[in-house]
Amino acid sequence: MSTRSAKPDLLQGTLDLMVLRTLETMGAQHGFGLAQRIQQISAGLLELNQGTLYPALLRLEQRGWIVSRWGASDNNRRAKFYELTKAGRKQIAREEHEWARTVALMQRFLRAAE
Amino acid sequence: MHTLWKRLAALFSPGRRDRDLSEEVEVHLEMRAAELREQGIAPDASRAQARREFGGIEQMKEHYRERRGLPWVETLAKDAVYGLRGLRRNPVFTAAAVLSLALGIGANTAIFSFINTLMLRMLPVEKPQELLNLYRTGGWGSGFASYPLYLEFRKHDDLFNGVFARSGADKVRFDPGGGNRVEFAQRELVSGNYFGVLGVKPAMGRLFTDEDNRAPQAHPLAVLSFEFWRNRLGQDPAILGRVLTVDEQRLTVIGVAAPGFRGVEVESHADMWVPAMMLRGNIMEPGMHWVWIMARRRPAVPKGRVQAAANTIMQRYLMSVYGRQRETAFGKWALEQKIEVREAGLGLSMLRETFGKPLAILMAAVGLVLLIACANVANLLIARGAARQREIAMRFSLGATRRRLVRQWLIESLLLALSGSILGLAFAIWGERYLLLFLPEGAGESFSVTPDTKVLGFTLGISVVSAILFGLAPALRATSLDPAAALKDGASQQTGRGSRAGFRKVLVVVQVALSVVLVAVAGLFAQSLAGLRGINPGFSAQNVFTFSLDYPRGWHKPDKEKHRELLRAGLTALPGIASFSYGMPGPYRGGSWRSGIRVPGSARTAREGVEVEEQGIGPAYFATLGVRPSRGREFDETDLRAPRKIAIVNEAFVREFFPEIQDPVGRVLSFDDSKPEGGEPTYIVGLVRDILHDGLKTRAKSAVYVPFEQGVSAMELDPTLLVRSPLPVGSLLPAIRRELSRLNPEVALTEPRTLRERVDDSIFVERAVATLCGFFGGLALLLAGVGIYGVMAYAVARRTAEIGLRIALGAAPAKIEWMVLRDGLLLIAAGVVIGLPLSVAAGRISASLLYDVKPNNPSTLAFTVTVLLAMGLLAAWLPARRAAAVEPVEALRHE
Repeated sequence: MSTRSAKPDLLQGTLDLMVLRTLETMGAQHGFGLAQRIQQISAGLLELNQGTLYPALLRLEQRGWIVSRWGASDNNRRAKFYELTKAGRKQIAREEHEWARTVALMQRFLRAAE
Repeated sequence: MHTLWKRLAALFSPGRRDRDLSEEVEVHLEMRAAELREQGIAPDASRAQARREFGGIEQMKEHYRERRGLPWVETLAKDAVYGLRGLRRNPVFTAAAVLSLALGIGANTAIFSFINTLMLRMLPVEKPQELLNLYRTGGWGSGFASYPLYLEFRKHDDLFNGVFARSGADKVRFDPGGGNRVEFAQRELVSGNYFGVLGVKPAMGRLFTDEDNRAPQAHPLAVLSFEFWRNRLGQDPAILGRVLTVDEQRLTVIGVAAPGFRGVEVESHADMWVPAMMLRGNIMEPGMHWVWIMARRRPAVPKGRVQAAANTIMQRYLMSVYGRQRETAFGKWALEQKIEVREAGLGLSMLRETFGKPLAILMAAVGLVLLIACANVANLLIARGAARQREIAMRFSLGATRRRLVRQWLIESLLLALSGSILGLAFAIWGERYLLLFLPEGAGESFSVTPDTKVLGFTLGISVVSAILFGLAPALRATSLDPAAALKDGASQQTGRGSRAGFRKVLVVVQVALSVVLVAVAGLFAQSLAGLRGINPGFSAQNVFTFSLDYPRGWHKPDKEKHRELLRAGLTALPGIASFSYGMPGPYRGGSWRSGIRVPGSARTAREGVEVEEQGIGPAYFATLGVRPSRGREFDETDLRAPRKIAIVNEAFVREFFPEIQDPVGRVLSFDDSKPEGGEPTYIVGLVRDILHDGLKTRAKSAVYVPFEQGVSAMELDPTLLVRSPLPVGSLLPAIRRELSRLNPEVALTEPRTLRERVDDSIFVERAVATLCGFFGGLALLLAGVGIYGVMAYAVARRTAEIGLRIALGAAPAKIEWMVLRDGLLLIAAGVVIGLPLSVAAGRISASLLYDVKPNNPSTLAFTVTVLLAMGLLAAWLPARRAAAVEPVEALRHE
């Protein structure tokens, strides 16, 4: 556990937004692909237990932001694909706005402190 | 909504969804492994790395599942199964806990269902909360009023949305047609708007309207209750238009009321309703009090204004009727009548007046019993928790959260409580039957022993509350341990031992304190009842049998007198019957007549008439009651139609009117109290001691006994008949019935009851409360005893090694025994010290139900302390003896 202590804890809800954004840019994707992509984008800043992705996907699906269906992967394996819904797109817009505000707010504090 | 739906759907197909998830994870791992293999890593290693990167698969799945379904339903079911398995593995523990709870819950359910029937259940009518009873007080009994008074209130539709009148539900002869068997039914005479104002609908035919109650004797109609039609008339489909003979009136059935409606009285149900105008006698007589006036309030009119207006209406009415007599004693008395506006949504109930408060006290008592039972179960659970530490530690280290374990624990508690409540319901039904035996004759009819939804809800409620009460603390304690330490220590109970034992002791002290309260209160009630029982009523109730007769309607005074004479001759000729007599109203028939008298020569009546009790009695009345006149004689057959008026007086009479003499025989009194010297003289022929005719708690009042035939019998009321006989009721009653049917089969025997039973009925509240509190006190003692025993036995078991060492070092067994006993006695002493002030407070609350006993009565308190000490000694002595018998070698090897 000590190896992970230096890295930031995943903020509640952050993973949700990452998944949604990734699905928005990549289109329908299976869990493994999503995990790869998220780690790739975070460029090692984030060490994700890939397993934690699945409960998050379920949560998003239950909220109606994504839908899932079984399909065939690149190498023709059966895999579960996730796709953004309309509500999901709206949610991204809402969350982006929230994030922008939070970041702006935090920056003011951090600069003021300098 | 969307989420909930998906979650619900998931509940019903967990298997498929689990397979889906497993497959998804498998695909993920396979994809990653394939990628790694492409990077040149060996297949085995790549697979392992893929897994590592994925993290804890099972943990994730658990997390996923919790998120997916309504997880609590699933885990609940799982926990319940697990819990049941655990309970089955420990049958002794389970039986002890379930039995404790069943006793507590059963007692609560039984008392609550009485409270429910008497004080919570609304009448099955429209908006029952709007119903009012215009309750008359002050003279001629209370509650009942006259028909003209009802008509007066009926004029005020500014105050009420309808006012109606009803008689009591009277038991009258009923002939379904055909046979000459005498049957009885409960008839209620009602005003025409009765059903309309109550908002009761017909199940069949039609109900009364004001048109059905216009003129005396002009409406021979009847409406039947649904239950009567179903149970007594075989659900006759052609009932409408059928003619029934009720109270010797031929009535045409016009309708059947909606099912469930049995009138407006709680204890006594109506079988049929008949228009008030069918009353025999002058319905407009203002001095005849026979109807209850009920009204539906206008929601806009506040209750205070209704009461104020009712006072005004009553005053005006009384002045119009009695105004001219306002200077006389009678007029003054009449003008003192008042109307009390009472809520009537729960129905009318005399029983509620007398039994309401006792029931509240009993409810509190059973609440305490349940608390004691809960403490017992909590104690058992803590002991069991200590034994289960290893299991708990194991589950902790396997990743169970504390919350999950506490929940698991609480579910086990809930299972115990629910099992307890099922058994408790059975106890309750049985207990209620027993409780019904205490109620006076007839009052128990309406108490159905099958619990309704409110009672079931209550039972469920208290079992959940008790599960939390007894389950939460043990659950929190059992799960507050360091798993590593617990596992390392194996089965030993090192962790948290001190605080756990302390908590159990606190529980026992609480149990003892509550038991002190219950035992003390039970003692107070028992003493109060013993006091009542010890009162000499002035007669011997043993071997006296009482009954009434119902004569055919056409019979008048001479017919009845003749029948009574024949009956006397017939009965006294039978072997085993010592004497026969009658009295009006008779002993313990709820009241006496009051008459104004003048006593010539007595200073007491020099200025105005004085009221005394008047009893109309037959020949040999006192002999039948086992009383010998102390002076003079009692009446005999020759006095029945003697022209001279005679009377027997009691000692209180002599004290009041002739304080200076011993023997009043030969003196004169007069029932004409209009002038100081009286009118027609009544000669005193005998003196008897004071007899409490109307209740043990009443004081003896001045009483005048006159021959029934020349006294109150002018009102054509029938006396209570009395038979003195050592025969058991089982053979006496058939003998009387045989004699009656030999004389005339049309005369029916009603209200058979021994005098002893009638006296018992008059103190039914005291008997019920004393007996039940005694039972609950005993129960509390038993439970507390089990609690003490459990804690002491546990302590001894835990200290076996220490005790063994002491014995090995030469401690005498007696000393060891005392060491354990002392611990137990300390617990009891602490409980008693806490409980005694509480019990004095509890006694004060119930003081109004105590007869001649003070709430801090020292002998009761001494008794309580003795009983508890004895119980505690016994409970602690058993483990103490075991401690003294410890074999040192065995004990040390054990460790």
